[in-house]
Amino acid sequence: MLMPNAQNTTTMLSVRGLTKSYGGTIHALRGIDMEVKKGEFLVILGPSGAGKSTLLRCLNRLVEPTEGQIFHNDVQITGNRRNLRAVRRDFGMVFQQFNLVRRLSVLTNVLTGRLAYRSSWRSLFYNFPQEDKRIAIECLARVNMDHKAFQRADTLSGGEQQRVAIARALAQQPTVILADEPVASLDPKIARQVLTYLREVAHELGITVLCNLHQVEYTREYAERIVGMSKGRIVFDGTGAELTDDVIHRIYYRDPDEETAEEK
Amino acid sequence: MTAVSFETAVSAGLAREAQVRHRRYIKQAVWGAIAIAVLWYAAHQIKFSPYAVAAGVPFMWDFLTRLFPPDLSYMSVLGSATIETIQIAIWGTLLAIILSIPFSLLGARNTTPHIIVFHATRVFLNALRAINELVFALIFVSAVGLGPFAGVLAIALHATGMLAKFVAEEIESVDKGQIEAQLSTGASRMQVILFGVIPQVIPSFVGYSIYRLDVSIRSATVLGLVGAGGLGFSLIQTMKLFKYHQTATCILVIFLLVLVSDWICGKLRRKVI
Repeated sequence: MLMPNAQNTTTMLSVRGLTKSYGGTIHALRGIDMEVKKGEFLVILGPSGAGKSTLLRCLNRLVEPTEGQIFHNDVQITGNRRNLRAVRRDFGMVFQQFNLVRRLSVLTNVLTGRLAYRSSWRSLFYNFPQEDKRIAIECLARVNMDHKAFQRADTLSGGEQQRVAIARALAQQPTVILADEPVASLDPKIARQVLTYLREVAHELGITVLCNLHQVEYTREYAERIVGMSKGRIVFDGTGAELTDDVIHRIYYRDPDEETAEEK
Repeated sequence: MTAVSFETAVSAGLAREAQVRHRRYIKQAVWGAIAIAVLWYAAHQIKFSPYAVAAGVPFMWDFLTRLFPPDLSYMSVLGSATIETIQIAIWGTLLAIILSIPFSLLGARNTTPHIIVFHATRVFLNALRAINELVFALIFVSAVGLGPFAGVLAIALHATGMLAKFVAEEIESVDKGQIEAQLSTGASRMQVILFGVIPQVIPSFVGYSIYRLDVSIRSATVLGLVGAGGLGFSLIQTMKLFKYHQTATCILVIFLLVLVSDWICGKLRRKVI
């Protein structure tokens, strides 16, 4: 309390030697080391197939890494499947295709963010405690979607669906939000609107955001820090100012000789 | 690309097209020959004979003239049998709908607790589907006695096999993104099923259930042949007593019942889907 800035330097996530390979032949991640500070808005930039999605899914254990460790608030979360639900609850996730349950109402979709706090038996009757409803409506209000709470999710536009998806992630009361290409299926105007919501809400609540993007333009506009990925490795780590054309070239068009060397 | 090499590329493409086309002709000819051989052999085995049909015409005519005219006064007697048929179908289908919920979840790859459970469930469901309602009815008539309740159980079992299999396949084809989103919130398996899977399969589940009710009504009309209640019982009874005019009435009522049920169920299905 006495040192309000102290938390800004606390490490939220620490990734060490993370690799993921499928069948020993396809290498999605080839040794990732990174530290993420609390409250940071970090953009992971890279072309499709660079391993960005796999990295995010390793963090909330949707994908089991082949090797390496992940520490969340100094607690190792890899290699132990017992507290899987508690770990996932702490990581809100936002997807490229929004992934709202189309036939459920907006409010119920946001309420699913509360599932990890409640027992399966309670969920059997599709009802939630009053407290959860309060949290869900608050989260909807934060993204200005509370006026559509009772509409079916599939009646909303793409941008609206993504805002509801952000509200769902917020309802988990997470410490980290993982956004996997959150604006790839939206037009530029709506994309900026969604990214602005994401940045502001996260800032207000002190949530750390890891956001995958493939567009250099948005990355420069929104990132506090940028991690460039190419072929399963981190090839850049710096600020928007340091993201020169040369660096972009290194992220997107790696030397073909180097590539063939790596395939071996 | 120079003009010459472009021409070469185009003629190579055309040659390849001809090659692919010829291969397709050969394939079609081979499969066609196999199909003809199989059908010819089958026709021989089942003593397929247009001559027998022609020779049988007088006998068919004789039977038809004995049926006509239907004894319409018998319709009033058939009223309760018709209602019983519908009651058998409704209860049989309802039991099947309830039973198919757990069996479809156990028999879908993405919701089954274990792959062995999945295979066991599918084998079980196939067994239910393989055994005809009439066979089940025979079993249940000896178990619970003659009458409509044996018919209800027969329909319930056979319909469970069908419904659960259809719904299981529907469960397997749900949108994975919506499931992944639920998983990422930290939801348990059961919560993912409740909030991710079930909302996605509800419309087709309701659609299949209505379709199954229509099928069950048709099945229920013949269950009486083995003593399991409904219109089939009147059908076989009047035939055995050589009251062919009344048999004709039974056939007529069955026809009307199927027609009406098809119409209503079709309307209901369109409403849901």
